[in-house]
Amino acid sequence: MRAPFDTDTRPRKDSLRLTPRKVPQQPIVAPPVSRLAVQLGRLKLANPVLVASGTFGYAREMQAFVRFERLGGVIPKTVTPLPRKGNPPPRTVETSAGLLNSIGLDNDGLEAFIEKHLGYLSGLGTALIVNIAGRTIDEFREMAVRLDEFPQIAALELNISCPNVSCGVDFGIDPRLTAEVVSKVRSACRFPVLAKLTPNVTSIAEIARAAADAGADAVTLINTFQGLAVDWRRRRPVLGAGFGGLSGPAIKPLALRAVCQVARSVNVPIVGVGGIASIDDVMQFLVAGASAVQIGTANFYNPSLAERLVDELDAALAGEGCASVSEIVGTLQFPGDE
Amino acid sequence: MSQVIDDASRVFLPGLVPDALAATVDVVEHEAMARDTFRLRLRCPELARRIVPGQFFMVRAPGRDDPLLGRPFALYDVYDEDGVPAGVDFGYIVVGKLTTLMSGWTAGESVEVWGPLGNGFPPPPTDGHLMLVAGGIGQTPFLAVAREALGLRRYGEEPEASAPGAVPRIIEHRPRRVTLCYGARSRDYLAGLDDFRMEGLEVRLSTDDGTAGRHGFVTALLVEAIEGGDRPDAVYCCGPEPMMHAVQQICQKHAIPCWLSLESPMACGFGACFSCVTRVREGDGPDDWDYRRTCVEGPVFPAEKLVF
Repeated sequence: MRAPFDTDTRPRKDSLRLTPRKVPQQPIVAPPVSRLAVQLGRLKLANPVLVASGTFGYAREMQAFVRFERLGGVIPKTVTPLPRKGNPPPRTVETSAGLLNSIGLDNDGLEAFIEKHLGYLSGLGTALIVNIAGRTIDEFREMAVRLDEFPQIAALELNISCPNVSCGVDFGIDPRLTAEVVSKVRSACRFPVLAKLTPNVTSIAEIARAAADAGADAVTLINTFQGLAVDWRRRRPVLGAGFGGLSGPAIKPLALRAVCQVARSVNVPIVGVGGIASIDDVMQFLVAGASAVQIGTANFYNPSLAERLVDELDAALAGEGCASVSEIVGTLQFPGDE
Repeated sequence: MSQVIDDASRVFLPGLVPDALAATVDVVEHEAMARDTFRLRLRCPELARRIVPGQFFMVRAPGRDDPLLGRPFALYDVYDEDGVPAGVDFGYIVVGKLTTLMSGWTAGESVEVWGPLGNGFPPPPTDGHLMLVAGGIGQTPFLAVAREALGLRRYGEEPEASAPGAVPRIIEHRPRRVTLCYGARSRDYLAGLDDFRMEGLEVRLSTDDGTAGRHGFVTALLVEAIEGGDRPDAVYCCGPEPMMHAVQQICQKHAIPCWLSLESPMACGFGACFSCVTRVREGDGPDDWDYRRTCVEGPVFPAEKLVF
């Protein structure tokens, strides 16, 4: 089994910076004081319960349901360099215990994000992790450079895995491109970097290793599984864009498998996501090797769940006699491990 | 008209549901309204106090993964106990997984609900003729609209009681006439006719098969009224998309202000998922539109803003 990830001592290729920075190197987040505090590479979080990009809007939408300051962090909807209209509706369809979506990264672009949303997001009292997607490595790098002007951001999450736009898939299915985009973003900004990976690959561990070797502070496992819903009478896909990405409880065993495979073979902190809807689900992901979790689809039908899970996690860890989250991370034992 | 805020900000709320709440509540009543069509009553005073006509809420079966998501339902009416709002009624037609499950719900069933959501219909025209045009299950938002327009009931909180950012709504001045044009597939599907039998509301019916009212689409009733010298001063419309498209065209041709309430499928209802988008005009060019979320910028849109 791998070691816990309380500290990150791996050498960084980009430790030399050409220009001194006036802003603090550490992101501004609530001080980790409880047993819930976690550290993902350089990213410190007050607790390991995050909300997944694309399932929480720009947080504003959730204000009636969630006390943001209770969360470990908030990850708004993916931002792209320029505005994108997104895909034609229908954009979602419910499948058995799951949700198939093809939104198509509908957003107003980076500058509109900065102007319209960043101020609000900065005042939530929790770690702000900005999820970005570019069509090229240069676009990722340029977004990181622009966002580097805003020290209130705690980390960047790289969406190199959206199954619904051609720009995303190509990076996340290729270890070399994954490594390149991670290292370019890392050297372009001071932020901790999370690489959000696609499960639509032969070996997710290979991609995760490439991201880790390139300096990712953590990997987010996993984005949606590519799927299809068919309206057979009309001989048409149900979704306007054709294929979509599957999320929700239906994919939880698949996500757990991905987390476990990476945890057992790659030395990198993992943020687990995929069908989490209860404290038992959270504990399963931690035991399987995730150091933090994201609540995704459940935000749509149980909008205050994430906040409640923070309290339930504290109680569950206390019940297990754990003084910290890291004590339970990756404790899953397979037959023959001993 | 003594509305508290101006029309423009009502119709295009900035993507917020500041006074929504999520709760697990009890089914109080469940009644057949028509073929495959039912009315459910939920006890939820907080929701009942705040919701206004044309707004909606999401309903979900708790404790199960399938069906997973909530479904949106328009407010049919608010019911009172001891003179104060105690809960909400909504109508539905059995079409899918959740509505099939719902048809087996009985009093005492626990269900999850969140709302109020969306913008609602604008306050009706003062001293004019308001025509409500409904197709299929699209009649459900109009009971509350009609009752409010006729002064039979108030909806929403007094301005001073509203949450910051919420939309208070107390209508003092009313339209001179209110007419409901309601079309369905056939007589069996006409739902809630007894409820719509109220002082001052004129109801005109149509059915696709001619089993009740006029034989044909409900849009014919609208055209008939306009061409017969009974021109409405405003049209509120809810129904299947082809019908709303037709109503948009008719009202545009005759320069009648028209609002459409969309029935877009939704995953969350509060703006987080970006699935319920519709094409909303942003300028005069044919391609000058953007996808907007029906749940937070609608479901009610000025007809001329929508690109079908």
